[in-house]
Amino acid sequence: MRSVKQSAAVLGVLILCFSANGQNSENPHLVYKKKYIMGTVFEIAAYGESSQTVSSAIDRGFQEIVRMDDLMSNYKPESALSQLNRSAHFHAERVPPDLYRVIERGVQLSRLSEGKFDITVAPLVNLWKAALAGDSTPSLEQQRQAQACVGYDKIELTPPDQITLHSSCLQLDLGALGKGYAVDRAAEKLRAAGIEDAFLNAGGSTIVAMGSPPGQSAWLVRLRDPSHKVDPYVMLKNGSVSTSEQTTRSLLGRDSPGHIIDPSSGRPVETRFSVSVIAPTGSMSDGFSTTLLLLGPQQGKALVNRTRGVSAIWLSPKAQVETATNGPRILFGGTL
Amino acid sequence: MTQLRSRISPIALVNPIFLLLALSQLVSSTVYVHWSDSQLPAASSLGVTDIVFTWKQEISPLVATARRQGYSVYVETTISQAKAAAAEGAKSGWTGVILEIPESESGESKNRVAELQTAYPKLRFRLLNRGGKQPDMRGSLIVKRNSVLEVSSPTAQPWIDSNLALIKVDQRSRRAQVPLYTFSWEDQQQLRTLSPDEYSLAVAEAGAFHADLVLQLDEHLQHALNDHDAKAWALWHQVQSMLKFSVDTSDALEPAANVAVAVDHLEATDEVLNLLSRHNIPFQVFLAADLKAEELQHFDILVVFSKPDTEIGERIKDLATRGKTVVVVDAHGSYPWQNSQAVPENEHTTSYAVGSGKVLELSEAVTDPEIFAQDIRRLLGKRNSLLSLWNGLTTLAVPYRDRGGTVRLVEFVNYAADPVRVQVQVKGSFQSVRYESPERPCCESLAPVKHDGFTEFVIPELRIAGRIHLEP
Repeated sequence: MRSVKQSAAVLGVLILCFSANGQNSENPHLVYKKKYIMGTVFEIAAYGESSQTVSSAIDRGFQEIVRMDDLMSNYKPESALSQLNRSAHFHAERVPPDLYRVIERGVQLSRLSEGKFDITVAPLVNLWKAALAGDSTPSLEQQRQAQACVGYDKIELTPPDQITLHSSCLQLDLGALGKGYAVDRAAEKLRAAGIEDAFLNAGGSTIVAMGSPPGQSAWLVRLRDPSHKVDPYVMLKNGSVSTSEQTTRSLLGRDSPGHIIDPSSGRPVETRFSVSVIAPTGSMSDGFSTTLLLLGPQQGKALVNRTRGVSAIWLSPKAQVETATNGPRILFGGTL
Repeated sequence: MTQLRSRISPIALVNPIFLLLALSQLVSSTVYVHWSDSQLPAASSLGVTDIVFTWKQEISPLVATARRQGYSVYVETTISQAKAAAAEGAKSGWTGVILEIPESESGESKNRVAELQTAYPKLRFRLLNRGGKQPDMRGSLIVKRNSVLEVSSPTAQPWIDSNLALIKVDQRSRRAQVPLYTFSWEDQQQLRTLSPDEYSLAVAEAGAFHADLVLQLDEHLQHALNDHDAKAWALWHQVQSMLKFSVDTSDALEPAANVAVAVDHLEATDEVLNLLSRHNIPFQVFLAADLKAEELQHFDILVVFSKPDTEIGERIKDLATRGKTVVVVDAHGSYPWQNSQAVPENEHTTSYAVGSGKVLELSEAVTDPEIFAQDIRRLLGKRNSLLSLWNGLTTLAVPYRDRGGTVRLVEFVNYAADPVRVQVQVKGSFQSVRYESPERPCCESLAPVKHDGFTEFVIPELRIAGRIHLEP
């Protein structure tokens, strides 16, 4: 798990019916915008009857993502999450509804994966972040101390909006959920503005597709393929794709700490797999992609098989492929 | 206009061709505006003095008009047309001729330019690099013509398209002149008017990197300016504030760098150079032959992309003995440092401890420039990092030093356009940190925090361009 989802691995091509010389009702206007938020570039491409309306809807979508960042950032000391991490130890704190919902989903996912994914991994993430930036590798004692601070079962949720942390060093990390939830919220804003067909992209790591491009049945999204041989893709309509991958190994150095930490070992997870997950929502695909990377194909397939609407693919640089399908079909060899 | 004094290296002065070109550069360098519309606003309105027209073997009446309107007129042409253009220019009172010369043809072409300079001493001749790219913070989606949107970049971090690597290469390949470059806007068919931020970013880059730019104005904007369109003039006034900001660039400083990159061929398209730029690792480009020079003593890391000959091999060993870290990439063979014990770092890299330094041999070409740049940052370590940024993923920072080697100026360019709060750490102890930007005229004092040989400060709001002045 990590503070910032960095792998970004969805590749795709979307064929759009877009006339260069103006649009009519059969050829709706396409508007594309991008904005730097949450340490990455969010992009929205959307269709509508007037470019002014679409543009304004996209701006509202971005505003919503900025609002989510202000709630869930662990870099901003004034964010609701940072305040919670500072003050909710051993007593209930009231939090904004969006933050409560994300934490609730994080706890559910932590339970589903039996702690392989853990929303309280922040102490370990922070420990290894320094190593990733060039400091020395944390000692075993440091790892053990940080690991002792991890445990989703020490979070108490009191509906509708109160949270208690039952450990003095418990810290929440929403890096594996926040962007997906933010994209879902932005999609809701677009829908509220009357937009039906849009494509929202959080730095490539999470994509939400609304409707389909004009004249098409779905958005064609190519999935991350570290082998460059398998060429998987999905036809996405009203769904989401997220991809997770451990940091690439150093070319010149001996040890190469990754940014996705395994709470059970206290160390960066060692895997060459890239995992793409297709799910109904961004927050679901985002959380599942990290979880399935940590679980690996064997345990991960079992989780997918008992989760309706989810499909997943594990792909290695040597073209080893593992799939689990309980939702949209993953296709191969798409010619675009 | 940027007013940057040319920097002439001693090596350049040895060569008579460079000397002639260098003499032509003793005046200020500039952001040149390329114009193609049939009319032209007055220079005083446009706020620009240097205007460029494309030479088409005949004189446009607009060229004479431009001179009357107060512009210094340049024409842009190819080397084959240069003689005719120069003859016409000398007769018509143009200021200069801008020539596109590919690096592969530079030898013979430079001789011809030198001859032209001798024949037409009143004209300025500038060599133009057309290999620039539109500066941009990229996403993964690319809006293409013919109705295609493509998700293309497998990275969650913002991808910065910058011209810094191109300029670094030009600083080595054309040492006698301030680098001059141009680029084409990606929206070639110009379905829309470019935004003021897009123009401002282009100007900000040239100013921050201390290079000259031929700025292409899109036809819609030129036309609208001539039509006295209020929106167009409002846009241009925003760009003018960036042009004005660039005027104040300090001119007595040199780029600071502690990573040397040695190559066989000067190729700005090399992704390793782009990624070093993107990670704010200050580097300087050398040719392999340069490795024999003493100036490498000032660098902490040397990255060698050429296959070392015997002499260069000894030089590398010598540098490592004196405490430097040398990374030799994909250069299989027998070398003097291999007498030391080989320690495998991983499946690709072997390390040799040599004196107080080391040589790292990477057995293959760089397969992942992003990871390679991160590795170089790690090898530098905190102690040797000239510059570090936090919350700076969309920002490039370029340090400049005085003759004594002290960093005195740092130029910043934020490619996201939305204001960011950037925390900066610069190597050295500074009493005074002053900040200026187009929005905050010179200068606002920032509170420096000094510790352990470094100075930290926070730029509260960096929009597109900013500049920090440092006083020890």
